[in-house]
Amino acid sequence: MDATILDIQRMSTEDGPGLRTTVFFKGCNLVCGWCHNPESINFKPDPNWFLSKCIGCSTCKTSCSHGAIIRNEDGIQFDRKKCQSCGACAKRCPSNAIELKGKKIHVTKLFNELIKDEAYFGPEGGVTLSGGEVMMQAEVATELARLLKNKGINVAIDTAGCYDYRLLEKIMPYVDLILYDLKVFNPIEHMSLTRVDNKLILENYKRLIVSKVRLWIRTPIIQNATDTDENILGLAEFIKEAGYPERWELCAFNNLCRSKYERLGIEWQYKEYGLLKRTRLEHLTALAMTVVPMAMYSGAVADI
Amino acid sequence: MGKIKQPKNLSSRIKWLRDYYFEGTAREWNNEFRPFTSGTPWDSNYNEMTYYVVPETYPFFPTFNSGLIQGAYKVDTPKGFYDLSIAERRALFIQRTIVDYVPQEILPGDLLCGATFNIYASLCLSKKETAIRNKAILDKKSGLRKRTIEFHDRGFGNCGPTSGHLQPGYAVAVTKGFEYIYNDIKEKYDDLSQSDKDGKKGHQLKAMMTSAQTPRLLAEKYAALCEKFAAEEKDPTRQAELLKMSENMKVVPWKPATNFYEAVQSLWFTHMLVMTDENYPGPGLSFGRIDQYLYPFYKKSIDDGEDPTFLKEILECLWIHCNTAYDAMIRVGMNQGITAGYGQLMMLSGMGKDGKDLTNDLTYLFLDVIDDMSPILEPKPNVRLHSNSPEKLLDRVCDMIADSQGAPFLLNFDERSIAGLLHEAKFAKLQHLINPDNVFDYGSVGCLENTMVGNDRSQTVDVNLNFLKAIELTLGNGKDIVDYKDQLWGKPYKNIQMGPSTGDPCSFKDFDEFYAAFLKQIKFIIKNIVDLYNTGDALRRQFFPTPYLSCLVKGCAESGKDVTQGGAEIKFVTIEGVTFATTVDSLLAIKYLVYDEKACTMSELIKALQANWVGYEKLQAIAKNKAPKYGRDDEDADLLAQNFMKFWANEVPNYHTTSGHTYRPGMLSWNYWVSDGYILVASPDGRKRGQFLSNAICPSNGADSNGPTANSNSVGTVLGGKENGEYVNWLPNGASHTITLNPSLVADTGHKEKLKYFLKGYVKNGGTALQINILDVETLKDAQKNPEEYRHLLVRVTGYNAYFTSIGRELQNEIIERESHATI
Repeated sequence: MDATILDIQRMSTEDGPGLRTTVFFKGCNLVCGWCHNPESINFKPDPNWFLSKCIGCSTCKTSCSHGAIIRNEDGIQFDRKKCQSCGACAKRCPSNAIELKGKKIHVTKLFNELIKDEAYFGPEGGVTLSGGEVMMQAEVATELARLLKNKGINVAIDTAGCYDYRLLEKIMPYVDLILYDLKVFNPIEHMSLTRVDNKLILENYKRLIVSKVRLWIRTPIIQNATDTDENILGLAEFIKEAGYPERWELCAFNNLCRSKYERLGIEWQYKEYGLLKRTRLEHLTALAMTVVPMAMYSGAVADI
Repeated sequence: MGKIKQPKNLSSRIKWLRDYYFEGTAREWNNEFRPFTSGTPWDSNYNEMTYYVVPETYPFFPTFNSGLIQGAYKVDTPKGFYDLSIAERRALFIQRTIVDYVPQEILPGDLLCGATFNIYASLCLSKKETAIRNKAILDKKSGLRKRTIEFHDRGFGNCGPTSGHLQPGYAVAVTKGFEYIYNDIKEKYDDLSQSDKDGKKGHQLKAMMTSAQTPRLLAEKYAALCEKFAAEEKDPTRQAELLKMSENMKVVPWKPATNFYEAVQSLWFTHMLVMTDENYPGPGLSFGRIDQYLYPFYKKSIDDGEDPTFLKEILECLWIHCNTAYDAMIRVGMNQGITAGYGQLMMLSGMGKDGKDLTNDLTYLFLDVIDDMSPILEPKPNVRLHSNSPEKLLDRVCDMIADSQGAPFLLNFDERSIAGLLHEAKFAKLQHLINPDNVFDYGSVGCLENTMVGNDRSQTVDVNLNFLKAIELTLGNGKDIVDYKDQLWGKPYKNIQMGPSTGDPCSFKDFDEFYAAFLKQIKFIIKNIVDLYNTGDALRRQFFPTPYLSCLVKGCAESGKDVTQGGAEIKFVTIEGVTFATTVDSLLAIKYLVYDEKACTMSELIKALQANWVGYEKLQAIAKNKAPKYGRDDEDADLLAQNFMKFWANEVPNYHTTSGHTYRPGMLSWNYWVSDGYILVASPDGRKRGQFLSNAICPSNGADSNGPTANSNSVGTVLGGKENGEYVNWLPNGASHTITLNPSLVADTGHKEKLKYFLKGYVKNGGTALQINILDVETLKDAQKNPEEYRHLLVRVTGYNAYFTSIGRELQNEIIERESHATI
């Protein structure tokens, strides 16, 4: 059984408690405008070109048997309709200026890779299955979680929760912690910002509360999107009514991923947005805490 | 980050002393080398062999050799001086010099005696001895100097019998006093037969008896000086301090110390005089487990109701004194961290018998002193961690790492280190001296070199071998593949058959054939460096005794031999393997390019290297980016690295010096990985000539693309990993490992906790020693632009700290590049 993954990040400090190894699954059913891993949205592996690494040898062009590579004054571009995601260009590129974002890997091999840092996990750390939306590959994710759990590794999944709850029921026996995204409370806004309705997401949250699984909620704080008092209060009231998680993390936005959008040829509406002001984030956190005492914030902020 | 770590909580006394120290050349007082001569027309007071491991000094040898003697003060020698043995002459000469010629001084507010101690003393050789020595060293055709310089210019590395790098038996001096040491030597002398008394043994013991009295004679002078200053002093508090200092000097180091103040005073005096004896300022001369042997004195002083803040100030004075060792060459230019090359290491915490932790209150006091005094270069603390290290200690360590740019100490890892020391005990058949009942009392010298304490002469940086030369010799069938030049004059050396003929590499059918040839060249370069070093070692044995140091190393009095003549109980010389990762990555690249992927032929690869990759950029890019690399926790790559490690580490102990020292393997590359990168030809891993080599056991720059944990796993694996759950370590000397973490990792309490998990994981999977830099690129770039604002910015280079602004631009850029690859 194969998983399609984007990347493995070792010694991750931001994907749950302790030190963790995070595997990013490729493919997502939400399309959030602010997404930090835009290359993870598409299920199909895509080639990406890095200008700073390119030595201009055109090896990619000659290695592509689908005629999908265009070289012009802007450098290398891909005709994504012609591209078959075969990866020949990335494999032959001498300087790794082309990377194929996404690869298939057998679950056993993946498991062996993920446990290499077991010595560093400590009592709290472990492996986090993230994405994309990991539950879009529920079957292989469940098998992976089972293997990890049997090995005694702490397993977390990072999910947006927009799918049939039965998928969660299957993976839950092997999961120690769920990092659950609640982004926008207003259903209309949710639809316009992520292209999906949030009804299922909110319902699944209620079910998770009943299941007593360990839960952290994460809310990305995005200027002109999720950072309104109204949104935070709306989410807070919902959480209070549905049941408290162990923590509610308001995650400060940064635009460090803007070059990813450039490489994918996407004009990104958030590219000029700087760090959130500390005062703003502290205000939102205080607001959240009036209703949900375990609210907190994380990430870099601007002090000015 | 923007701001660099500042000292804190210092009393006005210590603040003044620290600030005064940092005035550097603007100071009225300093501890610069003072030269002394016996006054004979042939006299010399410079032993250049001790600098053979500092290639930057090669061009200055003629100047030092003639200049230092011209400006030297004459010291009177008694009649019949040249009838004595060289050891007796040196013992007497140095005693007279330090007691009667070097001024005794006390800085304002200082609580410790013993200020000026850096000297170049006459070598005390007769005319005939001088002629023999000069011929051996200076002969234009076959002299050791010429051989050493050519050896270095051709990229083999460097070697020479240098000073320090050991842990003398300071605990004996402090707890029992020099009176005990003197009596012990005298008893052994008295027990000799008359013919032995008149022979080598007797002469050596008499020299040591003279040296053992030097601390007493100098202490008497200081006692008198303190009394004189006290009489002149108007401030009653200072007057009382000076009288106390005088009382101290009447007790120690001759008699056993009875409290903490006396113990620290005794320790400093004892330590300082080793540097005087060796005519070398603090090169890896290390203190051992200082928080263990000083603890009984500390406890007694606390129990007696002494003020803990005063005890802390005493330690802070010790800190200042250790730094004054650097004054030796205070006016000599700074390059590539030379000024950071001294390493007076002290061990803190660590395990005792059966893995029990030995952290105590004094350990924490030392950590407070480090935290409050830093940034400052010396002494170099080394905190020992192991699986039973207490949480309190780990929390303190993580806090201190988080608040400093470079961790203000090294970390040593007991389990892996001890496995290495037990391994050397086995191959050198020294299990009676190094075994599970005492190995936990090991310490590190210099940067991170693990040795036993008080009886171990391991000579840890005397021999520095570039593995990469063996790749070139394999490609050249035993010859160089490019022309090498005299670095000073530019005159080319003849390309002669140096290594064995291992066959035309273009005819090798597969990588195994190449690898087999490479191993033959590795054997050759090991033998080659041993031959060169043994020549110098034999000269040192003949002409350069250190009788005072010999009083402090167990085995010397017993055998009647100087420590330079194989007197120590435990005798090693370490071959430090340099360019490990560059060499392994080159092997991996050859396998990938020529045999697996057939991206080029062997002949094309050789041409590319000869052309320094110019015209072969695509091939170079493949070598750099596509070929596997060591340091990513990649099983196949690390397996090749491990096999090579095991091979060379097993080869080294087959060799011995003429004074009976066994060679042992280690990995430390001081600054050679920078400078030798300009000498060695381009390498198959894609490195051009002029780019740096890899540093110690670290992966090549930027190769550790899977982050610090993968990097650490690779390091642990190549040292031997684990067998049946037991730690294996083929490098008894230890291996220098430096990583850089981004400040965001330690941004808050929760994140510091994560750093702790990393360290705990390192105990299980990593190497013997770790240096951590917490730096972001912006801070470093800003420091390059505005050096005056970052004068005290310390960075870890390789097992030593250096002031960032004082190291060469190339090394600065290298550190910035290293940081740019940090993945967190």
